[in-house]
Amino acid sequence: MVVNRKLLPAVLLLQAIGVCAADESSVIHLPDRSSERVPLNTVAPVYPAIAMRDRVEGDVQVCFNVDRKGRPYRIAVRSSTDRIFEKPSIRAIRTSRYVALPPEKEVPGIKTCRTFQFRLESVAGN
Amino acid sequence: MKIRRFLPLLALLGIVLVVPATGQEDNQPRTVIGPSNIDLADGATALRTGNAEDGVRLTRSGLRSAANDRERVAGYSNLCAGLVMLDQLDEALEACNQALMIDDKHWRSYSNRALIYVKQKRFADAERDIADGEAISPNARTLKIVKAMLLDETDPVEPSITIDDRRQVPVDGGE
Repeated sequence: MVVNRKLLPAVLLLQAIGVCAADESSVIHLPDRSSERVPLNTVAPVYPAIAMRDRVEGDVQVCFNVDRKGRPYRIAVRSSTDRIFEKPSIRAIRTSRYVALPPEKEVPGIKTCRTFQFRLESVAGN
Repeated sequence: MKIRRFLPLLALLGIVLVVPATGQEDNQPRTVIGPSNIDLADGATALRTGNAEDGVRLTRSGLRSAANDRERVAGYSNLCAGLVMLDQLDEALEACNQALMIDDKHWRSYSNRALIYVKQKRFADAERDIADGEAISPNARTLKIVKAMLLDETDPVEPSITIDDRRQVPVDGGE
């Protein structure tokens, strides 16, 4: 697993708030510290086997609302470099959870956006 | 992620179905029901179901009675695939070479031969055969799988996913 030193704290934080990857991918999470909605369980998408086979990389930005209980809804792809990454990205958002809001707090109407970057890193040097 | 798990499927995909030729070699009216070379067709079926021993035996038998170049190419290509399944790489290579000597536009034979080269670690030869195959059939799935196997050997990669929740990425990369 190759981790940029600058990103290391973010990776460590990620483990504290719970991130799971469904396959063998290494995962880096860069949280938004300004948001009122705090990720509780962040699910990483599966790298599509066909994209892996054909050495395709790409980015997908998905935007969604989060309800009071912390469940994402109205999930939509905002931008994507390759359609092959869209389904796993949506699936990852759908199964991710945020910390629920206390009853006295109002649910913010603003959408949350998350960008997934799918990359293939050479392991030849290992 | 290694592509090795695709190998059984790959060998199957490299197999050519042997169906009656449409060309009229004489002017005699005739009716052909089913394949013209039973052993070749049965060999292909056996190989497709993973029965390499029977597939190779029947294909060899079919090759002895091959009526034309079309049947010979299909037979040698299937024999090559079957021998790869049996891990008899030197014999498989000979069969693939035979197929390509008869028809140098047979992408399945390039694909099968590239697979042999990958297994023999002759990576430059594999790369050349994949390129030749792709020039004939650019979207062939089998060739893509062989290419992935080659790249797994020569330039292995592992997936990495970054989940970026930040609204604005800082210019200096800091938080």
